[in-house]
Amino acid sequence: MLHFIQQLGSSTRTGFAKLGRATYFLGHTLTGIVDVAKRPRLLLNQLHSVGVLTFLIITISGLFVGMVLGLQGYNILSDFGSEEALGIMVAASLVRELGPVVTALLFAGRAGSALTAEIGLMKATEQLSGMEMMAVDPVNRIISPRFFAGFLSMPLLAALFSMVGILGGHIVGVGLLGVDDGSYWSQMQANLDFYDDIVNGVIKSIVFGFVTTWIALFEGYDSVPTAEGVSRATTRTVVNSAFAILGLDFILTAMMFGDI
Amino acid sequence: MDNSDISADSLISVRNLSFSRGNRKIFDDISLDIARGKITAIMGPSGTGKTTLLKLIGGQLFPEQGSIVVDGLDVHQLRRKELFNLRKRIGMLFQSGALLTDINVYDNVAFPLREHTHLTESMIRTLVLMKLQAVGLRGARNLMPNELSGGMARRVALARAIALDPMMILYDEPFTGQDPISMGALVHLIKSLNTTLGLTSIIVSHDVAETSAIADYVYVISDGKIAGQGTPKEIEVSESAWVQQFMKGDPDGPVHFHYPAPNYIEDLLVSSQPTARIAAKQEAIKTDESLNTSGLKNAKGLKKTPSRKHGRSRYRRED
Repeated sequence: MLHFIQQLGSSTRTGFAKLGRATYFLGHTLTGIVDVAKRPRLLLNQLHSVGVLTFLIITISGLFVGMVLGLQGYNILSDFGSEEALGIMVAASLVRELGPVVTALLFAGRAGSALTAEIGLMKATEQLSGMEMMAVDPVNRIISPRFFAGFLSMPLLAALFSMVGILGGHIVGVGLLGVDDGSYWSQMQANLDFYDDIVNGVIKSIVFGFVTTWIALFEGYDSVPTAEGVSRATTRTVVNSAFAILGLDFILTAMMFGDI
Repeated sequence: MDNSDISADSLISVRNLSFSRGNRKIFDDISLDIARGKITAIMGPSGTGKTTLLKLIGGQLFPEQGSIVVDGLDVHQLRRKELFNLRKRIGMLFQSGALLTDINVYDNVAFPLREHTHLTESMIRTLVLMKLQAVGLRGARNLMPNELSGGMARRVALARAIALDPMMILYDEPFTGQDPISMGALVHLIKSLNTTLGLTSIIVSHDVAETSAIADYVYVISDGKIAGQGTPKEIEVSESAWVQQFMKGDPDGPVHFHYPAPNYIEDLLVSSQPTARIAAKQEAIKTDESLNTSGLKNAKGLKKTPSRKHGRSRYRRED
């Protein structure tokens, strides 16, 4: 029993220490905006590897999620004879929830894990240390461009996901199941609110992008510089990002839509 | 030699330096001087913190006690900007080379020039080719780091370290894992660069023969203390048994061959299986008595598991 309490205390302490390190790290990363502004080329390169290379997985997943929504939505809505509401159903679930959340989860798996592994290996091969000895700040030079690239890419990817998903729902609902094309779009246009739905969804994706990129970069920077350490850090990135995304999603949803 | 006076011609003076990782003392109140324009070697067995010393000199780690003065500046009192200015005058050659793996040899050597100077690309090109010529790799400028052999990678890293014309270079285990030819090339390079560029060099190494061949002065470190110092000739005839063992590479001596362990025979007998008993009896007959008991004595200088050291930034963990 005493051992248990001891362990609990020790892991709480390590957890808070890590949170503290992560916060300092974030502060340091944000100061790198000066370097990024001076060398936009660094940011562009990272936008390519973080954003553009995640494009395909987001598009394909978005399409399938939209198609499944169309199918499931049709089955339920047709019981109530309101198939024409399929458009707003698909659009609202994507724009409000699935777009930001699923994109963030995929982003953490595709881009986040890659960032962690890259930074961890740079640390293991003394590249970060070497830069420091060359009087180049590795956080500003290496971490900051990646952070801002992730931060900028996520909302765009989430928007793409929602857009492709709405098209997927259209393919299944209108193309295969025979929902009226006009009502699919007009219901969506009439009922989807710009501030309530779209802006809130974008805010979510910005928050998720911020947190996921932060976690990924910090886990890489804080990793034990061995093969095992980097592999563990990569796992932690995906797991912690998933927790953070889903937990924050609940909090944000409660703040935006709920009366809790 | 009295270490307490800061001699005028020393570029680096380390005074009463102490540093620990976890409970393990890496340096225990050591003082040493690095003479300007000379090649100073710091030798000692693996795990004695030779690399840690270089990181302390470069200001990447903070000592618990004591000071390190480089060219009149106390490294650990400097503000971040001043420290970075000092680092621009220090080249460091990492054991792995630490080349940036996503850019080619040319861009690696050009990296410090592009970061710290406002030279035009054509001037950078001239400088990079000069540095690469000095290490004999001008023809390899378009290769990527993963296409280089270990010796070539280290030479490229050396070209990068001298790119900003530093006042001194820190070499971290430059000879480890090199074949005889690239070892010879590196020994020659370190020596010739030191004379032609008027550098001060610090070599951290446990390759006794190669390092002694080019060093002007040698410090031997063991257990956080300086076990011996002097010119390579003086070290060779040192009276300390430990230094003698280290320089000659004897398997047993003040540093025991065996890591501390319980008695070998008893250890084998703990297992109740009959085969183990027979094996233990046979061992008991043929085992040399000295090997048997030395395992129980304290094993000085043996590597223990490293734990956390105190990093420069609060959020950073160095392992």
